[in-house]
Formats: sequence, C-alpha cells, structure tokens
Amino acid sequence: MKRRAFLQAGLAAGLAAGLPGCRFDGSALFRPDIRITRPGMDVGHVLRDRQPLPPVSGEIRTDVAILGSGVAGLTAGWRLAREGFGDFVLVTGPEPFGNATAIRFGDVPCPTGAHYLPLPTPASAHVRTLLGEMKLVDDAFAAAPDYDEAALVHAPESRLWINGRWQGGVQPHHGIPASEVAEQQHFYAYTESLKQRLGRDGRRLFEIPLALSSSDPEWRALDAETFAHWLARNDYTAPSLLWYLDYCCRDDFGTGLAHTSAWAGLHYFASRNGSARNGDDAAVLTWADGLNTPARHLLGAITPQRTLAGSVVRVSERRDHVEALVLQYGRLIRIRARRAVIAMPLFVAGHIVEGLKNEGFDPAIHTPEHAPWLVANFAMDHFPSEKKGEVLAWDNVVYQGKGLGYVVATHQLIRAARPERTVFTAYHALADGEPRDVRRWLAGASADELYDLAASDLAEVYGWKLTRNASAVEITLRGHAMPSPRPGFLGNAGTQALAAADGRLLFAHSDLSGYSVFEEAAWWGWHAAGRILGT
Amino acid sequence: MLDRLLILSVFVVASCGLAYELIAGALASYLLGDSILQFSSIIGAYLFAMGIGSHLSQYVKDEDSLARFIDIELLVGLIGGLAALALFLVFSWLAAPFRTVLYALVLIIGTLVGMEIPLVMRVLNQRQAEFRELVSRVLTFDYLGALAVSLLFPLVLAPKLGLARTGLLFGICNVGVAIWTAYAFRRELPGLRAQLTRAFVVLAVLIAGFAVADRLVQWSEKGLFGDEIIHAETTPYQRLVITRWHDDLRLHINGNLQFSSRDEFRYHEALVHPLMATLPWAKRVLVLGGGDGLAARELLKYKNIESVTLVDLDPAMTTLFAKAPALTALNQGALKNPRVHVVNDDAGRWLENHDQVYDAVIVDFPDPSNFALGKLYSVPFYRLLKRHVAEHGAIVVQSTSPYFAPRSFWCIDATLKDAGFHTRPYHTYVPSFGEWGFIIAGAQPGYAPPESIPVPTRYLNPAAIRLMFDFPPDMQPPPGIEPNRLNTQSLVHYFEQDWRNVQR
Repeated sequence: MKRRAFLQAGLAAGLAAGLPGCRFDGSALFRPDIRITRPGMDVGHVLRDRQPLPPVSGEIRTDVAILGSGVAGLTAGWRLAREGFGDFVLVTGPEPFGNATAIRFGDVPCPTGAHYLPLPTPASAHVRTLLGEMKLVDDAFAAAPDYDEAALVHAPESRLWINGRWQGGVQPHHGIPASEVAEQQHFYAYTESLKQRLGRDGRRLFEIPLALSSSDPEWRALDAETFAHWLARNDYTAPSLLWYLDYCCRDDFGTGLAHTSAWAGLHYFASRNGSARNGDDAAVLTWADGLNTPARHLLGAITPQRTLAGSVVRVSERRDHVEALVLQYGRLIRIRARRAVIAMPLFVAGHIVEGLKNEGFDPAIHTPEHAPWLVANFAMDHFPSEKKGEVLAWDNVVYQGKGLGYVVATHQLIRAARPERTVFTAYHALADGEPRDVRRWLAGASADELYDLAASDLAEVYGWKLTRNASAVEITLRGHAMPSPRPGFLGNAGTQALAAADGRLLFAHSDLSGYSVFEEAAWWGWHAAGRILGT
Repeated sequence: MLDRLLILSVFVVASCGLAYELIAGALASYLLGDSILQFSSIIGAYLFAMGIGSHLSQYVKDEDSLARFIDIELLVGLIGGLAALALFLVFSWLAAPFRTVLYALVLIIGTLVGMEIPLVMRVLNQRQAEFRELVSRVLTFDYLGALAVSLLFPLVLAPKLGLARTGLLFGICNVGVAIWTAYAFRRELPGLRAQLTRAFVVLAVLIAGFAVADRLVQWSEKGLFGDEIIHAETTPYQRLVITRWHDDLRLHINGNLQFSSRDEFRYHEALVHPLMATLPWAKRVLVLGGGDGLAARELLKYKNIESVTLVDLDPAMTTLFAKAPALTALNQGALKNPRVHVVNDDAGRWLENHDQVYDAVIVDFPDPSNFALGKLYSVPFYRLLKRHVAEHGAIVVQSTSPYFAPRSFWCIDATLKDAGFHTRPYHTYVPSFGEWGFIIAGAQPGYAPPESIPVPTRYLNPAAIRLMFDFPPDMQPPPGIEPNRLNTQSLVHYFEQDWRNVQR
C-alpha cells in the first residue's frame, strides 16, 4: 500500500518534472478495470423502502415452496428430491447460491463468497451424506474416511507474510518470541482437550452443527462474555496469539475478539473433530470456485423445472395455505403452497414475512447483527513473481493486515506447468466500527477507495507487481454477509423460536445458528426437509 | 587547471570507451561461444562506429561543443552502463534476437564514444592550447586509459564484479565526468541546471542498476553453461539449451541436464524395454513427457506397436527434436514417424479431457523438485492415469535415483501402490546421471522381468536385466516412507532432503 503509493507519487513527480506545465495523475493508469457488484442490494432496498409492487400476473401452486437458494435452501430441496418428494418449488432470490456464488474470469472460475469446507464432524451426517453422493469420500460415515485428494487442499496450504517474509502456516512463529509461541501452544492444547469433552447432558461441549452442542449451563455461561474478556481472564496476552484468534473470528464470524461471544470463540477451535485417512485433520475441501461446486451439486438434484428465478417480496400465512409473492423481471408471481421453508437471512425475512412476531421472532429485537464483507477477485494475467525460494500457497495471509489474505483459484489444478492466468480472491471482513456505519461507508465509497481496501494485502506483498499483473478486479460487496455470534447470541429467544417452528412456515438459514458456515446452513435445510418428510 | 581537468577526463573517457568494447566482446563470446569470431567482429563494429561518431562530431557547433560533450557523456554512461545487464536479460528471457540487440548497442555506444575525443580536442583548442601539445597529451591519456582498463578488466573487474556490474561502474564513471565537467565549467554553460538534473537522474538509474544487477544476472544466468551452446531458446514454459562438446550433445532444461548423447541409450533402453518386452501384444502406447523423442525411438523398434501418442507440453521442444538434424539423428526421426502422434498439451489437462485407453504408458516427467511437479507423482494423478491403462497393460515411471534420493524413489513406489498399482521397481547405471530408478506398475499383479529383449539394443541383455531388478543393501527402501498425498506432498520434501544430503 505505502510502497505503491510511494512509487506512484515518485513516478508522477518524475513525469511532472520531465513535462513541466503538465499535471499528471499516475494512480488511475495503474489500476486494473474495477467492477463492483452489490448482490441483493437493489431488491433489498425496494423492500426496505416499501416501494410499490406491480399487480400479480401469474400463480403457481405447489406443496412446498423453498424461498431462498443459499446453502440452506438448496440443501432442503436436495434432501426432498433425493428422498423422492418432488412437489416443491425453489425460488432463487436475488443471488442464486448466496454466499456460495462463483464467477469466471476467462477459463478460471472463482468464488465471490466462501471458499472451503472443513472435514465434516462425525455429527454432520447431512454433510457426509452430500460428500458421499458427490463421490468425494469412499465411506461417508467412517471415522477417518478416504477423501478425494483432488478436492483436499493441496500443499502448500497456507503461509503468513510476517516481518517482511513468508512463513509456512498462518499461526505466527517467524520472529515471534519463544514465550509467545509457548502461549499459543498452550491455547491450542487447551482447545484440543475440549474437543472430546462432554457436558453433563452427554453431548460434546462444542459441536457442529451447533444445535447439537451440550446445553450444560456451566459452559453456556461463556456466552455472556466476549472472547477478548475470556482470553484476558485466562492470562492469554501474547500479541501474536491474540492477532491469530482475532483473525479467525473475523474470518468465520466477521467480528473481532472484542465483539465475539467467548463461547463462539472456543467453539471455533474446539468443535472440529473430523479427520481423513489420507490428509491432515486440519485439511479442508476446496474447489476452484469454492463452495459453488457442492452448491451446484445440490441444485442439480433439484432440477431447473423446480427452480424459479426471482425475489420473494412478501410471504403471508393464510388459513389453509402460504402465499408468497415473487418479483421476476418486473412482474409479480403468486405462489400458493401448503408449507414454505423460509431460507433467507433473517434481516430480509423481517421485511418480507408477515406476522413473524406471532412465530416468536420480533425483527426489531431478535435479528442478529450481520457483518459486512468485501470479496475481491483479481484476474491475474500472469502470476506475480514471488521472493526467491517462495511458493504461492492456497491461502496467503498478511500478519496484522487489513484483510484476511487471498486464495489462489488455480491452486487445485494438477498440471505439468502452472496455467498462464489465475485469480486471487482477497477477503475482507469489515469488522472495524459498527456494521451500520460500515455499510453506509460501503454505499458511498468510490471505486478507487474500494479498490485500495480490496488490494491492501496484495499490495503489501507484491507492491507494484500487483498492478502490473492484475488486469481486472471484481469487488463483491456483501453488506449483510453473515450473522455474528456476539455475546448472548445463544440466548436469542427469537431465533430459537424460528428453529422450533413446525407449522406452515419452516425456517432454514445459518442465522438460526448465529454464525455462517456451510455445515450450519446445510443443517437447517436438512432439518426443515426432515420436518416436511416427517422424519 | 581546467584544461588539466579535461585531460584527466580524457583518461576516464578512454577507459570507459574501451571497457564497453571489452564487455560486449566478452559477453558475446560467453553467451554465443566462438570467442575469436565474437571478439573480432565486435571490435571491428565498435571501431567502425567510432569512425561514424568522429565524422558526426563536425556537425556540433563550436559554441555548443562543451554542452554536447556533457550530453554525450550522459548518454554513453546510460546506454553503455546498462548494456551488459540488458544483454543478459535479453539473452535469457526475451524472444528478441540477441545478436541484433548486441550489434545495435555496439554501434550506438561506438558512435557516441567516437564523438568524445574530437569534442574534447575542440574544447581544448578553443582555449588556445598549442595544437602540437594538445594532440600529444590527449592521445597519450587516451591510450593510457586503454591500457589501464585492458589490465583491470580481466584481472580485477570481470572476476570480482561480473560483466553487468562492471558495465554499470563505467557508466557511473562517464556520468561522473559529465557532472564534474559541468560543475567545473558552470560559468560557461547556459543550461546548467537542466543538465545537472539529467545527470543526477541518470546517476540514480545506474546506481540502482548496480544494486540489483547481481540478482538479475543470477536469475538470467541459470541457463548458462560451460560447453558450446548450439541452441538456446526460451519458451513460455522453459528454457531449452543444447550444448556440444566433441561428440557429446546435451539437453538442459532450466539448467538441469536431461540427457547426454553419450549414454542416453542406457536411460531410454532401461525406461522402455523391461516393460515393452513383456507386452508383445501392445498396440497403443502413450508417452507423457519425453518430447526429445528418445523413448519413442525405442518404442518404434517394436513392430507390434501401431501407434505412439506423445504428450509433451512444449511445442518448441517437439519441433526442435523433429527438425534439427543433429537431434533427429539422435532420435532417428522418431517424432516424424507416421506411427507417432505428437500432442502439445499439459499432461494433466490432457488426461482429464480424454478417455482413450492404452496398452502401455511411459511416464517420463521432470523430477518432483517443486509442488507443481510433485502433483504429477501423486495418488490422484496415478488414479487418473490408471483409467487410461488397459486391464492387462502397465505403466513405467521415471522415478529419480534410488541411490541419491532413496526416500523419493520409494515414495513414488508407495504412491503407485496407494493408487492401486502392483509395482516392480528397478534401476540402472547411467554415467551422466549416476544410479537411476524406474518403476513398472500394472493394474494386475504378476509382472516378471523379460528373459530376453526381442529388439536390437546397445546396452540391455538378459544378464543386465536381471541385475536391474536386484536392489543391493545400500539401495533398500528406508523405513516409514509415506505415499505422496496432495494434501501434504511428502515427495517434494523427501526429494529436497535427499538431494540436500548429496549436493555440496
């Protein structure tokens, strides 16, 4: 960032000196083409501002309407279809695939949302079923099955830019005092020991899906304090450890240590107990286009005939049916269904679903805070050169960087030569400041301001080489990317009520868990489909 | 005083002038070989260009001669200083024709240098120095400078600084003369400020160049070799260099020896015949890598083989080995044989996108020295390959050295087993490589080494084959070798450790 600014200033000054009387702004010349997308914002603001709707011009009757095509909605439809229940319609919403969306630059696919899936826990039967169906695993329910190695992240998995050089792995150790490294080890040893611990109800303390975690009040009490507070109380003070934990919280929750529930923070480290025969326990499954690959598999089972493109603008519960109004390319379609699965984020449901209060959910009180994110895909015409002896990893993170690092879309290719072009996906959880203020800033920020933010980690690592090699960048702004598990989130009576709802309306979204990962979203979709199937 | 200063400039300027000539000559003979031809053609071109410069100097007006002298010093400093570095980079990394760039630079520098001495003499002449004395002093220092550099260059500068930095050092001297002259004659120069600004910009460029030159050259010199280079080419994928020393042709890819014509038959006979001699029914064979056509040459000895599909990434490589006479003599025109089908594609992508099945596959990839190449030795890659092998067919994999890199070799064996192959490792001695290893892997067990080879060979006979399958005690598998999984890529680590133990 600084280096590039310096170089540009220097060059501009040099040119200005050479061409007296000419003013020259160097910065614009060095930027790749910038494209900014704001998924869902247009229709979101139509709803928020209560803009008038066109008259109804068509009606669809179906047994079940699934409203939303993120991972939760897709999983619900997939389960219904695979268990032979065919009478349903899935309405895509403004952004098909939600946080599992992908785009392409030339022949390189890349995600505009989530990039990976950790090895599923034994309790995540729903995810294991999916992976088995996708033939990514030989024995889906074995303790340590054989995964398809092409999908397990290939070495080198990650590296951290720290003190001006790269180290392997993201947990900081290069140039970090031994006492701090020991403190890190102590923390990981502690969370590792929690992985197998059971609460008084016989359940694991921290489980994925979160709904299957122990409800032991002694441990649930941790939800009352922030993770930062818990760490201080337990004498964890090493800056490198706190940075890493903060990084993890921003990465999974969109909030820093100071706003994350201590229970959620520990859940991150103590819940994952999946393993593979042919990979590390910490290995993840990843694809060039991120979670779009499993999401497309889910959609494949649903089939286009049962899919309706459009955005739901109103859901009303009638005496003997549910009515949903869908805005499709400027016209309005009415869906009449026996039951509906509300598979959309709750801040949207709060505007769309009439009578949510009757379900026990008061949007004004119970809507979880959603964190804003920025995902930037840089189309690289060439791989920028690395420092001597350094190799690009799948995930590349900058210590104390503004962003969450960048992921290489072509990393999983098995090729004799690396491809000429690739895409770097840079992630930013905008965790500084109140989400509302950040969203306002995002709405008003210029393309250059957004670019500077999106490129901050890459510019720190590559300097001017970034702008030389990147020809285009697509910046995806997700103002409400994910719910953040702030202190007290476990006691949210509204989300608990929606999770328990079993009437005409069913709810499926990771918002019900209070944090957003594939397994949680899929769990609620699986769960809702189970209720429809009566299992 | 000022005149003495100019005379001293002549000494420096003369040194620099000769230095550029020497650097160009040395660089050309270093990179292109045949030093007598290179040196004499460069000296000739350079002196000729100096003549052009002297001729052009008459067009400089008398009142401008001092200012133009300073400008020329700056230009010489900039172009001459950066020339060697630029030539290294051009030779190594650009497709631009190296000789054209070389002679263009020599002519430009020569022309500029040729203007220097006439201009200095005119400046001094304007100051009423006596002509007899003037000519004598100027030429004395001119030749003294030449002597100094001709000794300094081979004894001190070239060995200590290298060619690129020596060039930059002399460039800095030229700019030093320009700055010094401009400062000394500041009262007589109208555009002093602009001239000094330019001078310091050029100086900064040269100093920066000096600071990074070593790294740039190291980077570009990866492809440089002792022997005479008969072909050098940088393709989008790799740098191909073919050297000759007497009757020994050698191919280097990215600086690594691929074969020596003196003993390559040992390698290629060992790669092909232990497998093919046991598959008399084989009709379709796939070769992955092997763009030199030498494995194909061995395959074509079998009359039963109807088609050989050769997948090599680099069209430049297969074109070279299909056309260059010295190389087609070596592979007996295998790549032009109608039974051979050359495909220029990435082996990984090609296997993913095609589903033909082959009776035998010869896998001759570069060693797994990095994570990208390591993927071509992984469980998923071998599983993918297995889908292209007939039920009773088999593959053979070049598997590094079981002597120098035992963990790598046995890791490849473990990987093939994990992918569901039944393996038979073997090894042979290739003088230019040392002890080298291969693994035959079949979908079915029961491979037995052939009792004889049904085609003519220079090296292999039944006794040699029996020895190949015997691993003496110093080449036994080390314990605890993990297969190469993509998630961990143990092979790349093994390979790095193995060779670190061997190389000094």
